[in-house]
Amino acid sequence: MMLGIRLPALRDRLMGYAFVAPALLLLLAVLAYPAGRSLRLSLSSGVRGSSGYSLVQYAELLRSDVFRQVLQNTALFVAASVALHLALGLALALTLNRPLFGRAAFRVLALLPWVVPDVVAGIVWKWILNPLYGLMNDLLFRAGLIAAPVEWLTAPGLVLPSVVLANVWRGFPFVMIILLAGLQSIPVELYEAAAIDGAGTVQRFRHVTLPGLRKVLIVALALDTIWEVRRFGLIQAMTAGGPGIMSEVLSTQVFKQYFQFFKFEYASAMAIAMTGLLLVVSLPYVRMIVRQE
Amino acid sequence: MRRHRTSVRNVLWVVLTAALVLGGLAPARSQEAVTLRFSNWHFVETVWGRSLREAINIFESRNPGIKIVPEPISYGEKEARYQTECAARRMPDVVKLHNFSLTMFFEMGCAADLTSFIQKEGPDFLKAWYDTPIKVMTYKGKIMAMPGDFMSMVLIYNREMLKAAGLNPDRPPKNWTEFLDYARRLTRDSDGDGRIDQWGFSIPASKNPGLPLRITPVVWSFGADFITPDGRSSALNTPEFRAAFNYIVELATAHKVVPPGVTTFGPGDVRTQMASGRVAMKIGSGWSYPIINDLNPKLNAYDTLEAAPVPVGKVQITAAWQSGCVMSPFTRYPEAAWKFIKFLSSKDMEKKFFEDNRVVSSRKDVNALPMVRTDKFSRVIVAELAHARLEPMIKEWPEIFDAFTTALHEAITGAKTPDRALADAHARVNAILARGR
Repeated sequence: MMLGIRLPALRDRLMGYAFVAPALLLLLAVLAYPAGRSLRLSLSSGVRGSSGYSLVQYAELLRSDVFRQVLQNTALFVAASVALHLALGLALALTLNRPLFGRAAFRVLALLPWVVPDVVAGIVWKWILNPLYGLMNDLLFRAGLIAAPVEWLTAPGLVLPSVVLANVWRGFPFVMIILLAGLQSIPVELYEAAAIDGAGTVQRFRHVTLPGLRKVLIVALALDTIWEVRRFGLIQAMTAGGPGIMSEVLSTQVFKQYFQFFKFEYASAMAIAMTGLLLVVSLPYVRMIVRQE
Repeated sequence: MRRHRTSVRNVLWVVLTAALVLGGLAPARSQEAVTLRFSNWHFVETVWGRSLREAINIFESRNPGIKIVPEPISYGEKEARYQTECAARRMPDVVKLHNFSLTMFFEMGCAADLTSFIQKEGPDFLKAWYDTPIKVMTYKGKIMAMPGDFMSMVLIYNREMLKAAGLNPDRPPKNWTEFLDYARRLTRDSDGDGRIDQWGFSIPASKNPGLPLRITPVVWSFGADFITPDGRSSALNTPEFRAAFNYIVELATAHKVVPPGVTTFGPGDVRTQMASGRVAMKIGSGWSYPIINDLNPKLNAYDTLEAAPVPVGKVQITAAWQSGCVMSPFTRYPEAAWKFIKFLSSKDMEKKFFEDNRVVSSRKDVNALPMVRTDKFSRVIVAELAHARLEPMIKEWPEIFDAFTTALHEAITGAKTPDRALADAHARVNAILARGR
C-alpha cells in the first residue's frame, strides 16, 4: 500500500528530472565544459611537455602594463556607456510614457538601434567618424565649426569617447524599454495622491517614480554592465583596440591574445579574470532574484 | 472505421517501403559524391572570387565525382575561424593561408602531411617550384602545404598624378629622400578650395595583418631589423631602427604627406584612396591592380598605375608574400583533397590566376611565360623577388609586430614621443622573447 502511494510520486519526480535532463546536459556541454577547459588552460604553464598546474599566467597578468591599461579602458568604457544608457534611457522612457502624438511610432523608432547588429553598428560609425569621407566632419565643416578634419578615431583624447558615443546609440533602447515597462507598472493612484498632497514634478519623480523603478533600475544596471564588459563586435569593427591600445578592452584583448598571438593559456587566464569581474558585477542582481524567490 | 484503419496501414507500408528503398540507396550515393569544403579569403573579392569560382567549375567538370563548396572568409578572420574549426575537427578540407600562419598551423597540427602524395607524383614533381616556397611549406622535413602565389612588394604609383605635380612619371623615386620629396609635391589642394584633398602616400597602418608586408620594406631598407640575428633580443633600439621609425612617423606628423586617420586604415581603405585619386603612391603587389581597377574602372588602373622597386635606403630589400594551400588533417577525402590542391597549384591554374589577378606564381615555369615576363607590373615584381625577404616565421612574430604597431600609433598620434614609444616597445619585445626562452 505504501509502495502504492509512493510510486506515482517517485515516478513524477523522475519524470521531472527526465524533462530537465536534456536542458541540463546542453548547459553542461555549452557552458560548463568550455568554462572548465578554459580554467584548466589558464592554470597551465604554456610550456610544451610540462604537466601540472601553475599560476604563471595570472602572475603575468598582474605584471602586464598592457593588461592594466586594458582594465582601465574597460572600466571607463563600461562606466561611461552604462551611465549614459541609463540617463538617455530614463529620459526617453519618461517621455514615451506620457500621452504623446505618434507615441507608438516613436517607440518603434527608438528601438531601431537595438536591432542593428554590433559589427554593423561599428562599421557604420567608423564611416560616420571617418576624417576624410565621414558624415560627422562634413556636417561640422558645413556648419563652420571646424577648419581641419577631426580625427575622431585616432586622437588619443577622442577615440574612447567616440567609441562610447557609438555604443550609447547602440545600447540605450534596451535600458529604455526596461524602464518604460517599469514606469508602466507604477500605479497612477500614487501620482494622483502625491499631486493632491501638493508634490511638484521633481518631488513626484523623486518620491514616486524613482522608488517605483528601484528594482527595474538594478536589473537594467546589472544586465547592461555585464553586456558592456563583454562588448566586442562594435569596438573591434571601429578601432580594433587602436590606436595603440587606447581603445583596447578586455574582450578585444582576449581575442587578440588567443587568435592572433596564439597565447591560449594567457588568453584563458584573462578570460577567467573577466568572468570573475562579471560575477562580482552581477552579485546585486543575483541577490535581488534570490530575495524575491 | 475499418476502412480508415486499412488506409492508415497502407500509408504506413508505403512510407516504410520508401524509407527502406531510400535508405538502401543513400550509402551508394554517398560513396559516389565527394564534397570538399574549400575556404579562401579571395572569395570575398570580386575579381579573385570570380576567378576561383571559374577554377572550381573547371575542376568539377574534370572530376564529376567531386563537388567543391566555396567557403568565403575575411582575410583578418581566417586564423581565428580555422583554429576553432581545427580544434573541433571541423576545419574545411582545403584552406589557403599566408606564410606566417602556415608555420602556426603546422605547429598546432592543423595541416595534413602531403609528403606521401607528392612522392607518388614522381621525383621531378617539385622541380617546377622555386626553392624558397618549398622551404616555407616544409615543417620538420615534411611538406605540409603546396605553394600558391609568391610575390615581392613594390611601389605602386599613379603616373597621371605625378605628371600633374610636375614629376617625371617614368622616373619614380629611387631612395627615401626622393620619395619624401615626391610625396610632398604630390600632397596638395587639387580643387582650390583651400583644403588638402590629395596626398603623396598612404599605408594601412591600423592593426591589421596587411601592415607587416607594407612597412617591413621601409624598416629593412634602412638597415634595421626587429630582432637581433640570434633571435634572442629586440633590435628596436638600434640607430638604424630609430631612423626608420622616425622617418615613417614624420611622414604623418611633420610632413603630413599621408591622409589624416592613417592609424585606422586597412588595405581596403588605401586601395579606395588610390582608386579615387586621393593618393598617389602606396606599397602593394600584383593583386593591387585588378582590385583598384574593380573599385574604379574609370581610373583605368592598368594604364594609369605603374610599379617600381621600393625606394632603396642603406640596403636594397623588400618584403615577400607567400601563400599556400593546406589540407585539413581531418578530411574524410584526402585523395580528393590532394587532387584539388594539385589542380590549384598546376601550371594551368597558376597561369589563369596570373591572367585574372596579376599574382605571380611560386612556379618557375609560370613566371617564365612571356605574358609574365613582359607584363609591366609582374616583370618588376618578379625582378624584385631577388631582394625579397619573408617576415620572421617564429611564433612570437605577431606579438612582436603588435608591440611595434602600438609604438607607431603612439608616436603618430602624439600620445608618446617617438623615442619613448620605441623604448617601451623595445622593452615589450624583449619580454616577449624572454618568455619564449
